[in-house]
Amino acid sequence: MAAPTAGGLVATFLRSFLIQGSWNYRSMLGTGLCFALLPSLRRIFSDDPDALQRSVRRHVEHFNAHPYLSGVALGAIVRLESEAADDQAIRRFKTAVRGPLGGLGDSLVWASWLPAVSMAALSLLWLGAPGWVAVATFLLVYNLGHLGLRTWGFRAGLTNGRNVGRSLTGANLALWTERLRAVDALFLGALAGAVLGGDGGLADSGLAWAGLALVGFVAGTVTGHRLWRPTAVAVVGLVALLTAWGWAS
Amino acid sequence: MELLVISLIGGLLALDGTSVGQIMVSRPLVAGAVAGWILGDPAVGIFLGAVLELYLLVSFPSGGARFPEGAPATVVAVASAAAVEAPGAAALGIAVGLVWGQVGGFTVSLLRRVNGQFVPEPASASAQRVSVAHALGLILDFVRGVLVTLVGVVFGRQVVVRLVSLWPLPQDETTGLLLAGGAVSAGILLRSLGGFRRRRVLFAAGIALGIVGTRLL
Repeated sequence: MAAPTAGGLVATFLRSFLIQGSWNYRSMLGTGLCFALLPSLRRIFSDDPDALQRSVRRHVEHFNAHPYLSGVALGAIVRLESEAADDQAIRRFKTAVRGPLGGLGDSLVWASWLPAVSMAALSLLWLGAPGWVAVATFLLVYNLGHLGLRTWGFRAGLTNGRNVGRSLTGANLALWTERLRAVDALFLGALAGAVLGGDGGLADSGLAWAGLALVGFVAGTVTGHRLWRPTAVAVVGLVALLTAWGWAS
Repeated sequence: MELLVISLIGGLLALDGTSVGQIMVSRPLVAGAVAGWILGDPAVGIFLGAVLELYLLVSFPSGGARFPEGAPATVVAVASAAAVEAPGAAALGIAVGLVWGQVGGFTVSLLRRVNGQFVPEPASASAQRVSVAHALGLILDFVRGVLVTLVGVVFGRQVVVRLVSLWPLPQDETTGLLLAGGAVSAGILLRSLGGFRRRRVLFAAGIALGIVGTRLL
């Protein structure tokens, strides 16, 4: 058994960007996790092909996490494997972290960080910024947080191994999520204000459309996510109806 | 040639949705800008991308949930709308994009079922089989994205070219209709942030900032 090399660790980290490449309903991220671990596992078990085989079979099993936080698990697993932790300890660790890494990531990234940056970029656009400025701002700011989170997670996992839960607790991701959600509310308001008052926005469309938008907004706040699909169907239906009306008249 | 290029771009952007990187070039705002730039109509690309971004503010590739796929849908919407210069092109393009987002989401679910057929069972897994299965998943996702975009652009352009002359609303009202649909997503997002009552102060402050911003800038 050997220690993982810097090259192997870098390869594992880079492969974490592909971790969802074989996402499936049976093992979810299992195959992707194993694929990302391979460069480090090959080094750790370079003198023991049977141990490598056992490790591969262990890691191809069912696993799930938010892709940006999967590095936490990857780093910790590399550490556990290089310390020759026993099979059951590694399985217990993976079972223990997959729920929190999924839930924390979904709340922090998909439900808070992505909408915040997206709304900031849309607000810039409706405030009159050139399109490329809005797009470049979105990609730069979003990926500062994205890459920072991935890097932090992998290092935390590698440094703390099975105790990585302490890093997660210490980082207080739930608090950051709550703060971001407050920022989201502010940005959502700013976007609404910019769309209402900006050039080519709702104010130029007439009271009827502005009123319909208000009704739609209130319905969204009351009904929640289950209204999304009916709304999409209604917009497509309205476009079809108006086109048919234009044909009939 | 243009159809091939735009389909390949759709495939590449679709990869970012879940399989590769997730640096969010697959979001409608970015995909729309890229498609518009390639098709020589960046203004249409940015506008349609921004409208679809508004619709998909509450749509994320979370876990096993089926979600409308933004990148190929946006490329299809922009390529369809850019085919004709008329107010109706944007409305028809967005309608095609919304439908194609669902088609794309369906194919993502289908691909995930297919992936499940060839990922190795733990008992028979080897390093080589893991690498092959993973590479195959990536290739299939790219091919899926290219095909979804290709079929969508061919279909969408036919819809827009054949129907755009029938569109009865002027540009401003067309924008109003499209934004009214997006307002529902904004409401859904506010609910997911804790609801109007809990966030009303920050939300109202934001509206004031936005309106003042439009007057100053």
